[in-house]
Amino acid sequence: MAPVRIVHYINQFFGQIGGEEKADFAPELREGPVGPGLAFAQALGGDAEIAATVICGDSYFNENIESAKKEIIEMIRSCQPDALLAGPAFNAGRYGVACGAICEAVKKELGIPVLTGMYEENPGADMYKNAVYIVPTKNNAAGMRAAVKAMTPLLLKLARHEKIGASAQEGYMPNGIRVNFFEQQRGSKRAVDMLLRKMAGKPFTTEFPMPDFDRVQPAPAVKDLSKARIALVTSGGIVPKGNPDHIESSSASKYGCYDITGVSDLTSETFETAHGGYDPVYANEDADRVLPVDVLREFAAEGKIGGLYEKFYTTVGNGTAVKSAKKFAEEIAADLRHANIDAIVLTST
Amino acid sequence: MRVFTNNPLVQKKLSGICEVCCFDVSFLQLLIKVRDEVHKGSRLLTHPLSGSVKPNETPYKSVLLTSPQGKIDVLSLELIESSIRAAEQFPIRYPQMPDSVRADFQLIDWTLLQSAL
Amino acid sequence: MKLELGYIDIRDIQFSTQSKVENGVLYVNKQEIEAVALGQPHIQSAEAFLARPGESVRITPVKDVIEPRVKVEGPGGVFPGVLSKVTTVGSGRTHVLRGAAVVTTGRVVGFQEGIIDMSGPGAEYTPFSGLYNLVLKMEPEDGLSQHEHEYALRMAGLKAAAYLGELARTVQPDEIRTFETDSIPEGMKKMPELPRVAYVMMLQSQGLMHDTYVYGVDAKRTLPTLLHPTEVFDGAVLSGNCVSACDKNTTYHHLNNPVIMDLFDRHGRELNFVTVIITNENVYLADKERSSDWTAKLAELLGVDGVIISQEGFGNPDTDLIMNCKKIESKHIPTVIITDEYAGRDGASQSLADASPLATAVVTGGNANEVIVLPPMDTVIGDLAYVERIAGGFNGNIAPDGSITVELQAITGATNEMGFNRLSAR
Repeated sequence: MAPVRIVHYINQFFGQIGGEEKADFAPELREGPVGPGLAFAQALGGDAEIAATVICGDSYFNENIESAKKEIIEMIRSCQPDALLAGPAFNAGRYGVACGAICEAVKKELGIPVLTGMYEENPGADMYKNAVYIVPTKNNAAGMRAAVKAMTPLLLKLARHEKIGASAQEGYMPNGIRVNFFEQQRGSKRAVDMLLRKMAGKPFTTEFPMPDFDRVQPAPAVKDLSKARIALVTSGGIVPKGNPDHIESSSASKYGCYDITGVSDLTSETFETAHGGYDPVYANEDADRVLPVDVLREFAAEGKIGGLYEKFYTTVGNGTAVKSAKKFAEEIAADLRHANIDAIVLTST
Repeated sequence: MRVFTNNPLVQKKLSGICEVCCFDVSFLQLLIKVRDEVHKGSRLLTHPLSGSVKPNETPYKSVLLTSPQGKIDVLSLELIESSIRAAEQFPIRYPQMPDSVRADFQLIDWTLLQSAL
Repeated sequence: MKLELGYIDIRDIQFSTQSKVENGVLYVNKQEIEAVALGQPHIQSAEAFLARPGESVRITPVKDVIEPRVKVEGPGGVFPGVLSKVTTVGSGRTHVLRGAAVVTTGRVVGFQEGIIDMSGPGAEYTPFSGLYNLVLKMEPEDGLSQHEHEYALRMAGLKAAAYLGELARTVQPDEIRTFETDSIPEGMKKMPELPRVAYVMMLQSQGLMHDTYVYGVDAKRTLPTLLHPTEVFDGAVLSGNCVSACDKNTTYHHLNNPVIMDLFDRHGRELNFVTVIITNENVYLADKERSSDWTAKLAELLGVDGVIISQEGFGNPDTDLIMNCKKIESKHIPTVIITDEYAGRDGASQSLADASPLATAVVTGGNANEVIVLPPMDTVIGDLAYVERIAGGFNGNIAPDGSITVELQAITGATNEMGFNRLSAR
């Protein structure tokens, strides 16, 4: 069997270009393995070769996602590989997101198998684990050897288009697709083992994680709306024109808080959306469509509500990690509680 | 107490005994009609996925419910919603069915309901 | 309560002029066993076949699988309340023809499924492909109702199994295993440091073809109650269930209940196996509430430290499973539940019809929607008509070479929810 050709994607740090100061490094194609690629090449032995390596700075990628993806895909296409390997990214957030995004794009555009690896809490894992195979790794580069060992057999299987078994067998992160396989022990024995661990307070792994039940109890109803001070919060990305705090168009890392004292109508001259996940034309024309300042001002004037809070909070919900969104919400809620707000109108897109 | 069904056998067996609402609709459409009743305040008395015959095998379903009671019963709503979701993921696979098999499905649906009466 | 099981290992099955067990071979007089089946009222014809591991044989539609057993010492007899008096069983000694089974086939309703392939890829998914099977194909009298038909097949199968079991009475077992549980205070005294565990066994009880019998009592008319684990080894629980082939618990599963077996394996060493709580899976929602309240109440009264819950069937029973789990966990008793999945052919759909965040420990018997291609077999015992048309398959699921494409749910015992198999999913 001819060795399979693999292209490896790594960031500027693992590409030995430099650290954060070199994060704007533009994509570059090099022949053969670089950095961690050497360890993969050794583990792959004669079965596969790392034909080329693409090195790209994390900031460069995340700040120019669409154009960077195009550049990188063309570099990879020119090598005509059988598979793409990316990372492992460990716990480096932007690197993880880049690995996931490149893998997803290459799988779609070039139709070749892809594999990446990262720490389970890397935001890239949540974003891409259902789209591409991701092998869980330790949270720092000390786990490189273990990662290479775990990723190599799966990479070969993928590159050879062999049947991929269940996540528990192949070592990838569960991706929502249930795959049958034969366990070592029968189910009843596994149940007894699991119960013994559960009773002893030891860790155990369920074979079927229940669907996510992150439910929030609704707050008690507002008793008298005519006395209630209402705040506006949105994930629709409405920001003062020019996006002064540079809230990202996707995978937002922050939220903004803006004063609307005296503003009774959001216009195309004063407000716009930073959101990159929907057609912005109608929001940019009239941002009240996403953040209804005009209507709430009317209601306040008519006495339907007690008043509109003079600040609004905004972020972009487009691909933003649940963990980040939770953190934003906790801070926003604390602020609003402090401001003695009675109710919040939450809008999306 | 009312029966929502698409099973003519159930209609035959129960008409005159209790209120039977019989519709000429699919299994899934019947569940949706039941959901509408739950929205109007009826409480479920039997499980909408009664029987281990899969929702894409048998065309028949009968569900026992109360008359509307003013307030939505959240447990009933959760149950009918999850049943509809489960039923939706089974692609229908009985394009043709001999009358004898049809009659057997009707009988099984009736006996499942009967076990709750 | 103490029971000895004397296992006689069966390594072949043959028709012969005299029924007997000799040197691990089960010899069966064909006419005699057919006569046993025909002795059951309303059975018009009965034909016996043999099916051995590795043979090119397909059995379908399978109604039940029953292991031949006989009570040789102690009170009562096998299948109490049905073939024997209702005397409490589970003590003394019982002989088992290990490796043999009676498989009944017959079409009670037109949509019945249940395939046992004795060889090929399908054989890996059913535990019964590894057994030396005496297959009884039975036809009823004309005009018999489905209820009477189901009853006749069920009884004829049990009688045939008892007939074969009787052959084991005086045979020297190859292995004797002893199973013993203590009264609650004795057990606590003997094993003060071990966690005390109960097993909640859910029984299919929804109606015709969905029933289970406990000492002859229809389980849907019962309240949750306690059994000595050894009672099931003597046939205290038996199956009247003919639907959902992959996750129905046949009488063979009950006789060899794997949860009970594996809890006994750790009994006295890592845990104290206290008792079995049986409960049902009724259609009526108030019954579900009552039964799950009672299982939780019993677990709490017994003061156990952990519970394993097993299931039977799809849909409606998912609700009972989750109710039992939730209510027992709410008493601060840790649970492990055993179920199977209907995640769609691509494995991407939601697996269970019901769910709860309290169900943190789940063992799965696999995705029953997974598709498998079964090659043609030289011999078909039973009737392929339905399997070819609909069951677990879809229109046009027969290839020109005669192979059939079905979902695992058509295969008897494939995704068993007592944890009988190694099949799982992630």
